[in-house]
Amino acid sequence: MPPAAATNLGYTPPDGGWGWAVVFGAFISIGFSYAFPKSLTIYFKEIQEYFSVSYSEIAWVSSVMLASMYAGGPVSSILVNRYGSRPVVMIGGLMVSAGMVLASFGTTIVHLYLCVGVIGGFGLAFNLQPSLTIIGTYFQVKRPLANGLAMTGSPVVLSTLAPLNQFLFDSFGWRGSFLVLGSIVLHCCIAGALMRPVNKSVQPKPMTEPPQCNGAAAEEDAATDTSAPSANQSEMRSQGCMHKFIDFSLFRHRGFLIYLAGNVVMFFGFFAPVVFLAPYAKHQGIDEYSAALLLSIFALVDMFIRPATGLIGNTKWIRPRIQYFFSFAVSYNGVCHLLCPLASGYVGLVIYAVFFGLAFGMVSALLFEVLMDLVGAHRFSSAVGLVTIIECGPVLLGPPISGALVDIFGDYKYMYYACGVFMLVPGIFFFIMHYYNYKKLDEERRQSVAVEMRISEEAVELKMSQDYKTAHETDG
Amino acid sequence: MSASWMQLFFQIFLLLVSCRHINTKTPGPTPTPLAPVSPLTTEVRSAVFKGESQTEKIELTNPVSLTLECTWAGNLNKPPNITGYWNKDGDEIENSHVTVQVENGQYNLKREFRIVNKENLGNYSCMFGNEAQIDFILTAPQIGEVRDKPVVSYTGDFTVILCKMEETKPKPLNWNWYRGNNTEKISINAQPERYEIKNEGWTTKLKIYNLSDADSGLYYCEAAYAISTTMSPVKLKVITFWEPLKPFIAILIEVIVLVAAILLYERSQSKKNSVAETGTNADHTNTLTQGENSGSEGSSSMRQRKV
Repeated sequence: MPPAAATNLGYTPPDGGWGWAVVFGAFISIGFSYAFPKSLTIYFKEIQEYFSVSYSEIAWVSSVMLASMYAGGPVSSILVNRYGSRPVVMIGGLMVSAGMVLASFGTTIVHLYLCVGVIGGFGLAFNLQPSLTIIGTYFQVKRPLANGLAMTGSPVVLSTLAPLNQFLFDSFGWRGSFLVLGSIVLHCCIAGALMRPVNKSVQPKPMTEPPQCNGAAAEEDAATDTSAPSANQSEMRSQGCMHKFIDFSLFRHRGFLIYLAGNVVMFFGFFAPVVFLAPYAKHQGIDEYSAALLLSIFALVDMFIRPATGLIGNTKWIRPRIQYFFSFAVSYNGVCHLLCPLASGYVGLVIYAVFFGLAFGMVSALLFEVLMDLVGAHRFSSAVGLVTIIECGPVLLGPPISGALVDIFGDYKYMYYACGVFMLVPGIFFFIMHYYNYKKLDEERRQSVAVEMRISEEAVELKMSQDYKTAHETDG
Repeated sequence: MSASWMQLFFQIFLLLVSCRHINTKTPGPTPTPLAPVSPLTTEVRSAVFKGESQTEKIELTNPVSLTLECTWAGNLNKPPNITGYWNKDGDEIENSHVTVQVENGQYNLKREFRIVNKENLGNYSCMFGNEAQIDFILTAPQIGEVRDKPVVSYTGDFTVILCKMEETKPKPLNWNWYRGNNTEKISINAQPERYEIKNEGWTTKLKIYNLSDADSGLYYCEAAYAISTTMSPVKLKVITFWEPLKPFIAILIEVIVLVAAILLYERSQSKKNSVAETGTNADHTNTLTQGENSGSEGSSSMRQRKV
């Protein structure tokens, strides 16, 4: 199978078996994390009437939930580093459920902000990070495929929740719906139950202990395992007890910085086109049902392209240079948006929706896979926590800025140009920086191999001289 | 001479008296003042018959003098004259038969109607003999968004029912609320701690406090215009909290069962694995020690050889 970026986990990931059950659990968790805030918008109109508030005040519920979900990233990472994925996901599921049940008894809008927004958002954060982390522990060789399959949860759960929410609303009104949603979201606890900690004692090497947080034990293990690349040796030693909390040394990691810089710019233009697809269609004079159909086409294409991207990312041609694949996906997104204003009529918009679905799905499927590829499964949990809290800003600001652009110019095309630029520039940035990064990584690998060979030669010589000495002593 | 003057004077006097007489006669008792004819706005609506039965919807807010005009291109054989007449709500309007002549290959039928109150609204049809008919449906502005699903709320809670007129249509003068069924409608007045009505131009909200099962049913909001009113129904359903609690508990039980099943399955799997592992571990350590022994033997032989 194609080799990935060299990271020594200290054990061989199963790459299958129970791993597929874990992927299914991650599918559900990730699905709820991304789809749940979006699906709640169905209730906003009635809640707005009930509490007599303006539309922007009710939209704050969604924003607070999204902000809490991203801000909870680092907290989630710390907990996962310490306790593993399973307890964190189950607690997350319970938190969201409790938040929704409390909200169903709410008497003011602030009540909703706190229960649905803060508690619900944090609960979803406790679902997202651990799911991504545990995939890295179970898969190495088939990891892009596993990631692609897990990320498919988002469009599938959204397609299921949207009509379900409508049905609940018609049957029970918003209070009853929140109560029933509180129980539906408990399925995240089932997903958590599936996330069995990986069996780290199964491996071919005599090193039976997994790298422990204890610094001394880590040194011992590092010393006995001379076959490991020296770069990772120093990594393991320096990590030591940092594992317990957040690994801030990531800010010195070249790949991580590239990823972070590109993503921060990219997220300004990532979600806005999805939000404005239906309004843009209506602005062009298309009726409401056809506009909704556009979104369905988009979601359907998205759903199928994510596992497909995972499969493609796993092939032996792409896997070693998967960063380029990601850069291509981001740039393709940018080009798609820049060309959107040229689409005329309903057929043009359908074609745009199909291409946009492809682009969106590709980027989503690879988003966390490339981060795992850059920093390795060990530090992934801390990395994703740091990335989500820094991405919080662009994700929240993106749609309002785009909305402001539409209001100022009165035309959607400037917004699409802006989003296109926001995605094309990071795409090109990624291409250039990863070319440089791959060169540097190859150099480091060659150096470390040379250093190892010298070390092992010296060790053999030392042993031989020692044996010679003892032989002399016994003889003499 | 004076006699002729006297006669003339007398005739003039008689004339004046008779005129005054006429003057005093005409302003007789008029019970209702005539609706102002000049302030009535005039509107013209026309339609061309396209071959099939055709309906034109006209929404009016204020009293108007409305001229309806129908045009028909005629049949294959175009008789030079044809009788046209008007219907209102299926009944013929008296004295509306007119002979229409062909002009530029078309028949034109035109009539002016004074629409001032509710009775004047309805379905007006222009008929060309028995061959062509165009219907004009005159109504007050209709409320477009009608909510077909009921508003669901809970006992003890309050609810807000909303009615909205599209802002592209004229603003209603007033809003009224009724509850009941098709046959009788009871007006709802604002009572403290029970009903609260808030009218804001194009929208109206009815807030009902302290709901109970008896409050379920049909509610009507009525938009009042100068000429007439329109009604729109909204259904309210009041349920107890037990209704959503049932699926909640069902799903909760399902989740607990599945989680327990997964964890128990895992425990039984790990027990099997640990039994197998202790067996394999023992083998492993045996082979290792054997390997070490052979290794040390090898090195000692090497030493011996070196020496």
